[in-house]
Amino acid sequence: MTESAPAVAAPVPQAVAAPKLKVRDLHFYYHGFHALKGIAMDIPEKQVTAIIGPSGCGKSTLLRVFNRIYAIYPKLEAKGSIELDGENILDPHYSLNRLRSKVGMVFQKPVPFPMTIFENVAYGIRHHERLSRADMEIRVEQALRSAALWDEVKDKLKQSALGLSGGQQQRLCIARGIALKPEVLLLDEPTSALDPIATGRIEQLVEELKSEYTIVIVTHNMQQAARVSDQTAFMYMGELIEFDSTEKIFTKPSRKQTEDYITGRFG
Amino acid sequence: MATDWLYLRRRAVNALALALSTLATLVGLGFLAWILWETLRQGIAALDLKLFTRITAYGADGGLANAMVGSLVIDALGILIATPIGVLAGAWLAEYANRTRLGESIRFLNDILLSAPSIVLGLFVYTIVVLPSTALTHGNTTFSGLAGGVALALIALPVIVRTTDEMLRLVPSTLREAALSLGIPQWKLTLQILMRAARSGIITGVLLALARISGETAPLLFTAFGNNYMTFNPLDKMSSLPQVIYQYANDPGDAMHALAWAGAFVVTMFVLLLSLVSRLVLSRNKVSHD
Amino acid sequence: MSSPPAAVADSLAEQRSRRDARDDRLFGWLLKGCALLVLAALLGAAGATLWGGRHAFGTFGWHFLTSSAWDPGNDVYGALVPVYGTVVTSVIALLIAVPVSFGIALYLSEVAPAWLRTPVASAIELLAGIPSIIYGMWGLFIFAPFFAEHIKPFFTSYLGDKPDDGKLSWVAAHVPFVGKLFGTDYPFGAGVLTAGIVLAVMVIPFISSVMREVFQTVPTRLKESAYALGSSTWEVAWDIVLPYTRSAVIGGIFLGLGRALGETMAVTFVLGNALELSPSLLDPGASIASTIANQFSEAAGLQKSSLMALAFLLFVVTFIVLLVARLMLRRLAHKEGR
Repeated sequence: MTESAPAVAAPVPQAVAAPKLKVRDLHFYYHGFHALKGIAMDIPEKQVTAIIGPSGCGKSTLLRVFNRIYAIYPKLEAKGSIELDGENILDPHYSLNRLRSKVGMVFQKPVPFPMTIFENVAYGIRHHERLSRADMEIRVEQALRSAALWDEVKDKLKQSALGLSGGQQQRLCIARGIALKPEVLLLDEPTSALDPIATGRIEQLVEELKSEYTIVIVTHNMQQAARVSDQTAFMYMGELIEFDSTEKIFTKPSRKQTEDYITGRFG
Repeated sequence: MATDWLYLRRRAVNALALALSTLATLVGLGFLAWILWETLRQGIAALDLKLFTRITAYGADGGLANAMVGSLVIDALGILIATPIGVLAGAWLAEYANRTRLGESIRFLNDILLSAPSIVLGLFVYTIVVLPSTALTHGNTTFSGLAGGVALALIALPVIVRTTDEMLRLVPSTLREAALSLGIPQWKLTLQILMRAARSGIITGVLLALARISGETAPLLFTAFGNNYMTFNPLDKMSSLPQVIYQYANDPGDAMHALAWAGAFVVTMFVLLLSLVSRLVLSRNKVSHD
Repeated sequence: MSSPPAAVADSLAEQRSRRDARDDRLFGWLLKGCALLVLAALLGAAGATLWGGRHAFGTFGWHFLTSSAWDPGNDVYGALVPVYGTVVTSVIALLIAVPVSFGIALYLSEVAPAWLRTPVASAIELLAGIPSIIYGMWGLFIFAPFFAEHIKPFFTSYLGDKPDDGKLSWVAAHVPFVGKLFGTDYPFGAGVLTAGIVLAVMVIPFISSVMREVFQTVPTRLKESAYALGSSTWEVAWDIVLPYTRSAVIGGIFLGLGRALGETMAVTFVLGNALELSPSLLDPGASIASTIANQFSEAAGLQKSSLMALAFLLFVVTFIVLLVARLMLRRLAHKEGR
């Protein structure tokens, strides 16, 4: 019943900025299981794109292809193309180092490194750039400010990051990601392990960050997608069912499956 | 009637079995208490300041100073050799070769090495260290503290490999993904992040390995050999507490037996202390991680 | 702080990427090299003892395995006595240690009140941490005299064929072999049986901790459904837990056997070190490890080579025993994984 759109013609929401990521005919295989089936979409620059869908629909898998983090596990394979500013990042010649300095990622559970708060942010920078101590301090402060964490941690930068609360740890992970000045920020259900107050802060932060970064957020929480995103993609069973402006998806979806999912008549 | 009898019989068998299992536990604990009690009693009775100040060359009037120094040097060498190799090998098993065929085989063989007879490992080191250096020095048999250290390193190695491997595999894979998604290369991730996350577990493994080798005797007999005089030179023959205990216990003199007990007491206390410390390190880790 | 132009940044990233890939490769090789040292240690131990024993194997051939001679005076050596001593002491150790370990594991997993389990288990594990030389000391100075005074007379007078008062007991007179097993003229506490008992105490913590661990892997629903049918604790242990964990229990026993075969110090002190074949368990004997420990430093030529050959035999046998142990233990791990 799901007759997907022709693979090449990408569904592009109306009236958006130039695409940052162009996904074409993307297939993904998990030990032979066909997890993504011919995904095609254009992700606009400096906006928030949400990906929703029931669990197992492939939304996290799609996100994990965008920075090729899947490549650390054996027997996973992506076919097709994803262009970042016109270059195919799935091309083996596109170096992981370059890709990962351009595409940052934040995970479901906050995973601070077992280091001080300062080092958590500085560690990644140090690998990509050689900075003086003073410059590094400025960079770390900028990142922590952007992640709305600076005021809470400025007096304890030398303390272990493991002592922070879950919400603070997650914002630290965001700071760590944006410290590398990426162009795209991938958020994989970033609030699923947090309480409502911490969730609110993260959502507010996403709102602020979109003036500088292209953000893709995977969420199982439809209200969250409605609150934070400009575009929403709905996925089901490895296929992209509908991709449009968030307003349209949540008010007048054009596909029945989308409507069923949004209204909760689904799985 | 018949069912009553059957029921009673079943209850009796059960009671007997449970009583026997309790008895077995008491037997085990009894032996533990007996061994520790005798070591404490005889050891404390023989404790004397000259243990720490005089060397074994004085025999019954001497102490164990050179043996203690020798033990420290040989054990330190063993740990210094085994720790970097064991930690890196464990990291390979956990991070590079997990679920590969070669990795599984090495993990399996490491478990066998863990229980391999230490005396054979001692003869192996005799063959690859003592014999060649004997040939180099024109026939003077060159037992040495270093050879002893190598032998003990072979015994410590599998302990360290195993704990490092296990502790690294306990680190959540999200930490790896988080670091790799920042563009951190695998080697930095392994050395600077994963090992730091698993640090207390790895330290526990090293302490356990130290506890294991500090009581080892057999492989030292044909590697470090023994030396009645004080030496700090690892290229020299060296005595060690277990080797002196072995030698003195087989001596007919009562005074020598007392010295052997004193040595046994020192070794036992050291080993028990180590296992206590390693437990503390591990439990502290659990608290800080949650 | 202005960022460098994008093209420059990209080419820097390319350089870093290549460098990282190279470093990762070198690091991987380094780690693999360290891991292969484990393999090298095992192969080396086998190779070194085989090479060291080539002279003995060459001189005596298969006869080395079957000859009971160990005669440095005539330079004739055979492995039979030490091999026999190794096997018999280990078998005695297992005969004692297996039921006791099963009892301890049962007690700790089914019988003991919850608050008592951890401290008792830790105490039993402490037994495994005591160095073997301490077992040797205790065995030599404490247990062997105790055995000679309180236990041995019972065996010699009621079971042995050489009782002190000369009156043969009914058992010794009527049951074959028993008299020979327990008859002796040797007056001291050291001997094959003593060594077996000390070895048993040494391996109990190893076997019992494996058994306890595997007993805990039995699914609670399995046990509960048996209890619901009215089974007693013992029936659940014997009919449900033991069959379910059989292969791992056997693995644990083999692990203990591997330890017992290769143990040197605890045995050397209490075995008496007599290189003569005797049927009596109360006579002194010799094991492979004790013979090597006693003689290697002063041996030369063919004797040294024979000791190396003994070490090779010991290594091969323990390797096989431990291999079986680990394979059996792994089967349960796989079952658990599913």
